[in-house]
Amino acid sequence: MTRVIVLIAALVAFLLPLVWTVLAAFGLLPDTTPPSWKGSLTFGHFAEIGVAEPTFWQELATSTASAFFAAALAVGVAFLAAYGLARSRVRAGRTLTQGFLVLASLPVMAYVIPLSDVMRRVHLVDTFAGVVLAEAAVTAPLAVFVLHGALAQLSPEWEEAAVLDGAGLFGVLGRVVLPLVAPSLAGTAIVLFVLDWNMLLVPLVLTSGGIKTIPVGMSDFFTFERELDWRTAAAALIVSLAPLALLVTVFHRLLERFSLGLEIGRDIG
Amino acid sequence: MRLTRRDRTVLFAPLAVLLGGWLVVPAVLGLVATFTTYSPFTTTVRFSGFANYAAVVQDPQFGAAIRNIAVFTLVAVPLELAIGFGIAYLLRRPMKGRALWRVLLLAPWLVSPIAGGVMWHFLFSGSTGMLDFALGWLRLPEVASPIGDLRLALPTAIAVEVWRVAPFVTFLLLPGLVSIPNARWEEATLAGASWFQQIVHVAVPELRTLLLTVAMLLVGLSLGTFDGILILTGGGPGTATLTPALYSYGRAFQTNDWPVGAASGWLIAAGVIAVGLIYVRLARERVAA
Repeated sequence: MTRVIVLIAALVAFLLPLVWTVLAAFGLLPDTTPPSWKGSLTFGHFAEIGVAEPTFWQELATSTASAFFAAALAVGVAFLAAYGLARSRVRAGRTLTQGFLVLASLPVMAYVIPLSDVMRRVHLVDTFAGVVLAEAAVTAPLAVFVLHGALAQLSPEWEEAAVLDGAGLFGVLGRVVLPLVAPSLAGTAIVLFVLDWNMLLVPLVLTSGGIKTIPVGMSDFFTFERELDWRTAAAALIVSLAPLALLVTVFHRLLERFSLGLEIGRDIG
Repeated sequence: MRLTRRDRTVLFAPLAVLLGGWLVVPAVLGLVATFTTYSPFTTTVRFSGFANYAAVVQDPQFGAAIRNIAVFTLVAVPLELAIGFGIAYLLRRPMKGRALWRVLLLAPWLVSPIAGGVMWHFLFSGSTGMLDFALGWLRLPEVASPIGDLRLALPTAIAVEVWRVAPFVTFLLLPGLVSIPNARWEEATLAGASWFQQIVHVAVPELRTLLLTVAMLLVGLSLGTFDGILILTGGGPGTATLTPALYSYGRAFQTNDWPVGAASGWLIAAGVIAVGLIYVRLARERVAA
């Protein structure tokens, strides 16, 4: 019982700032003397987002599309490599996988300056493909690490049976491996989608106005005009958070499959 | 299945192209360029040895950024781990809708660092914020926003980061805690272990590798702190919340001091790689044991 009370207290503490923001987005503001609430419930502030930031809805579409393609690309590429690592006889496979985690921990700032220069020289600056590919490269190492954990747990016997039936690499992957790890792939893709959706530095540095995601739009806006109405800002915050909240709530069972390499501690310990 | 040479090429080539083209090659070219006067805006390039790194290290602003990020990392990461672990520990025994709890608690992490900066900017300041509301309730006078205060800005930025990241730690640790066999807990309970002893003698040893992995991710994230601070304080007041990433970005893209920006970016990379080597070493000791 105590446990549930503590958990509810933690949930309230972590979600309270968001509740405050939701209330403001619907026009309800706190008053300090005496502490009370003022204002009336309205959807008007959502309409004002487009007035304050005319390209906001376009940014929403760009963020959705780029995060979707970047997550799909990273998970696809990482799946192939993670399978290769999981089925390699290389003893260094484990160390190599840990190397991918170090790569996943590397802040984008560590290499984004030369990356922006290289992208400009190959004319990928300010292109949708440039943003998608760079975001995929940032998140792929984490996907390799997570998917390696999922794939290493699979027993190879099923695959051997398919090989005896004459299946090649893609036959084995498509008919045996993919169905077994599909939930892990989906769970990983959701986490990557969130990371890509919220990424600032990559789209900030690789674009100059032609392509704009929500975080870039927000940083521009707040750098140049700090006098924004809080209720409109709150509405924009809620709109940019809602798709992610919906995604993780609907697919919360798939996210159970997202874990950072349990098998590493398990089969050895 | 047994992989042929051709299979391996097919499996690894796409990742190699993606990481090579968009991460490794730019990073290495960038590293080479930091030993020259290279900048995309100049035509003449000379070899300059460690001059760029000397300029970075001697810059008092960079020194302040290093001090800030050291405090930031040493305070934020243990707090994130402790709070995240604590909540995951409460969720470890089966309960109704645990998977849903796990994602509900994840909400702060879904807020992008940028949006979080915007949100806390308003929540800390003005009469519409949470701070003045709470003070009004306690019948205390209103205060100025802590993010504009020289001494409070860094602790405030740390608190905002912990709010955002601790739920993510819970999300990452919960599957590990759940997978610890029940027998291990029962043994400990029969031996009369308190909850604290259970954590120290059961949870932490069982989760050693996972904890190391999560800690590695958090340290890397923390050392690169950029977005969260950018809107919240912009590095100020003065250099109170300046981070190496903000410094690096400012030099390369705002003051057009490209070589200094690129060199300081590589110092961040060097820091994370050093931590990474320690991580690989510690994780391997576990394998040997």
